[in-house]
Amino acid sequence: MLKMFSESFKNLFSKPETVLYPFEPSPEPKNYRGVIFYNEELCIFCDKCEDICPPGSILFEVVDVESNKKEYNYNPYLCIYCGACVEACPKADEGCLTQEKDRMPALAGSGEQVYKNEKLGYFINRTKSAKNLDFQWREIENKTKESREKLAQHKALKRKQKQEALKAKKASSE
Amino acid sequence: MANKITVTFGSQHIAIPEPVSFVFETENEIITKVDVDVGYVHRGIEQAAVTKFKYTNVHYLLARVCGFCSITHAGAYVHAVEKLIGVETTKKIDYLRTLVVELDRIHSHLLANGHVAEVCGYENLFMQTVKYRESCMKLLEDITGNRVQYDYYTIGGVSRDLTTEIEKSIKNTLNELRKNTIKLMEFFETDYTLGLKTRNIGKITTDFAKKMNCVGPIARASGLKTDARAEFDFLPYEELGYKTQLRSEGDVWARNMVRFDEVLNSIEICLNVVDGLDEGDVKVKVRGKPKGETFIRVEAPRGECFYYLKGNGTNIMERVRIRVPTYANVPVLRELFVGSKYSDAQAIVLSFDPCLSCTAR
Repeated sequence: MLKMFSESFKNLFSKPETVLYPFEPSPEPKNYRGVIFYNEELCIFCDKCEDICPPGSILFEVVDVESNKKEYNYNPYLCIYCGACVEACPKADEGCLTQEKDRMPALAGSGEQVYKNEKLGYFINRTKSAKNLDFQWREIENKTKESREKLAQHKALKRKQKQEALKAKKASSE
Repeated sequence: MANKITVTFGSQHIAIPEPVSFVFETENEIITKVDVDVGYVHRGIEQAAVTKFKYTNVHYLLARVCGFCSITHAGAYVHAVEKLIGVETTKKIDYLRTLVVELDRIHSHLLANGHVAEVCGYENLFMQTVKYRESCMKLLEDITGNRVQYDYYTIGGVSRDLTTEIEKSIKNTLNELRKNTIKLMEFFETDYTLGLKTRNIGKITTDFAKKMNCVGPIARASGLKTDARAEFDFLPYEELGYKTQLRSEGDVWARNMVRFDEVLNSIEICLNVVDGLDEGDVKVKVRGKPKGETFIRVEAPRGECFYYLKGNGTNIMERVRIRVPTYANVPVLRELFVGSKYSDAQAIVLSFDPCLSCTAR
């Protein structure tokens, strides 16, 4: 009992253990799992990150069916920051997908503004207002689904044309 | 003359950190009848695991079942899937997994003991405990990259390796933490007032613990030798210096002391891991999809956690069933209340360290 009393007495005069956060900096640790950065130039569009993402916060929308061009959409406000995508990325060593130690600023209280960065992908950089961000993301989800169906149809059509061309060739040679 | 009053304890109560509801029928401060409801935070995670998620990322979902034992749930799932696919992990992977699991146990146990001190009226001791626990949390943040959701387990390995810098800080921090834990233990052991609130209160005998199928520190405090770490070899505990900690008193105080003993043992295990770590890769290649059914039992901080998995060779599991330690301990908690004073109810509940977000899922 005396020991505890003396410990309490010592604690009265010792420094506080907590950090006065808004007035003092409270930096993230060195290996903190923060926001995901993307480099389009290095991407090979294998879609492995999209497949593994648990909440589905990475989506590749097919923009052009002919050339199979895809756009990387990332929603940092849906992301759970598990780092699975970076592990799955075959080009992660070269810096295609990297996990930085920065955090995204909170949406609440930011008004209409959204923090934008080129490396965050198309979705965040194209949004005009922070309101209804989840609604805007749902639109992207629907668009992606549609574009994938279109791509599948296009591929099936091409395959058919190829087969027909082959048949025609065979017929003409015979 | 007996004066019957019905008192509700929870679902929101200042002593309980999580939503559980007890309705006590009391007769002159003595509890005569108890009703328990544990289903306040049901989120349908088991159903989501078999419909919305592929087997490769179910463990990220299951880690979010609970904040304290996130590594246990993810770990249990990964161990079971590896069993189904037939992956053999290396010694280094096993060691790193053990390190994070044990660090998780340390911070969970320290907080549980701090909570008991808080509801007994020792806000001061609670703060002191949490202050010491913070060093362990910082260590976990350095190793895994997050304070609560570690996401350290991946199928066939772990997500990142230790650097020499972190190894050094683990050794320093844990040696410091060991001293602090012994200091805290002395407070709990010798303090007279805390003893009045914890000793001989909420007593469970060995036979009763056996009859009610207690698990975890609650069973071990009653002298019942049960620990999944000793019974199953999901991680190499035997070679890392694991010892089962037993106490025979079976009261609130003994449960706290068992937790402290386990913290000291876990610190030793962590130091052994750092000493015996090999060089090498932290991942092995995984091929194939889970097919067939299996179960696994792992030791969560609160006791034995049971997982049943069924796969059908596709990307989505057919069944994921979880039985968590708190669910096994609720019946004995209910029996224990009958005959004890209402003023002791808070200390009894918190000495069980209930985790309701695990229980309801």
